[in-house]
Amino acid sequence: MSELIERAYVITLTIPDNEAFTALTTLARMGLPVDAAVRSDVWIATVEAAHAAALDGTIGTIETVYNPNKHRLEIRSNARPLPGEVWITALDETPAITVSGRTVDGVRGIVRRTAWRLLDEHGADVPAGILDRATESFLCNPAFQKAIR
Amino acid sequence: MKPRVAVVVFPGTNSEHETQRALAAAGLDAEIVHWSRGSAGLRHFDAFVLPGGFAYEDRVRAGAVAAHDEVMDAVIEGAQAGKFVIGICNGAQILLEAGLVPGTGPLRRPTAAFAPNAGGRFMCVHVHVRLAVAPARVPVLAGLSAGAVIPAWVSHGEGRLAAPDAELDALERDGHAAFVYCDARGERVPAPNGSARDVAGLTNRDGNVLAIMPHPERDAWTFNHRDGDPTKAAARGNAQAMLAPSGGSIFFEAFAAGFTTARPR
Repeated sequence: MSELIERAYVITLTIPDNEAFTALTTLARMGLPVDAAVRSDVWIATVEAAHAAALDGTIGTIETVYNPNKHRLEIRSNARPLPGEVWITALDETPAITVSGRTVDGVRGIVRRTAWRLLDEHGADVPAGILDRATESFLCNPAFQKAIR
Repeated sequence: MKPRVAVVVFPGTNSEHETQRALAAAGLDAEIVHWSRGSAGLRHFDAFVLPGGFAYEDRVRAGAVAAHDEVMDAVIEGAQAGKFVIGICNGAQILLEAGLVPGTGPLRRPTAAFAPNAGGRFMCVHVHVRLAVAPARVPVLAGLSAGAVIPAWVSHGEGRLAAPDAELDALERDGHAAFVYCDARGERVPAPNGSARDVAGLTNRDGNVLAIMPHPERDAWTFNHRDGDPTKAAARGNAQAMLAPSGGSIFFEAFAAGFTTARPR
């Protein structure tokens, strides 16, 4: 068995994202100065290092996870949000061992989170305080979810 | 004059007609009101019922977007003024997201949630729920007797009550846990969805707002009881009996009784 590493697969719609738009309209109603909301699915795999490259390729072939006609796939070598992102996950997050029902060699566990980025009218990330307010008052229900910054 | 009850419909609500029928059969003047009428179109109603469905497609989180909808301003104002408010299934999720139930925190800052079911799957099963608090604790259902058992259908993917342990303790201690899952005799049973403390329904501090996950309106007529139900079996071959209110109808009759026995403020 080789060393275990983490891989994050950040999958974002390239077509209009109705859910993100609905979130945006809600944030506007709440009075938050946000011009765009970007939502991504984040699949975080704990995988044997020797199998990581193969997993990268496999993720790109599971169309229920990633469809190249409507998604952008970004592969990250660590499972931390970038500055300006917040990840929402369940407090009782339980890793699965399959990806969309498929077993993948070397994968020890995989979890799914939702990433949000909120942008201002210039396309830049909103100030951290705005993202915090949006998270605490709308994007995350702390009764069963946690926000990772 | 009959009490006027608004059955509030959001984009994606799908249980408004059976809810309206059950309310009307209980003697209430129930009107389906779409969210687009805004809060100004709601304020003259005596009470509000938020039916089941998938408001705003459950985007972001079940009930989260609807809880911030402008039309909810009237529901929140009404609840704070003592009007009766019931949320069923998705309506219950909305009430928790709006902070009206259990009402232990600020508005629109939920302290509890109906989170994804244990196992992560949508489920549709027949259940019974039992009133787990004294009837006087829930004037919104003033017509219920102590320990009343109500048949209903679970039909949800997110019905597992979740909250920190301290909050759950407080909810039980302070009488917020209005309904628990039970068998037909009223004996408490494990919640089919893994709900904490087997809770099926929550109320607020004043008992004028109730959030319940199973659907009594889908079990409020003899013909839509589950197969094997004795009332349904006895009604076979008798259309009038089959179309009569029974079972879950007591939930709506208790709601209607509240307008006379525990007149909302």
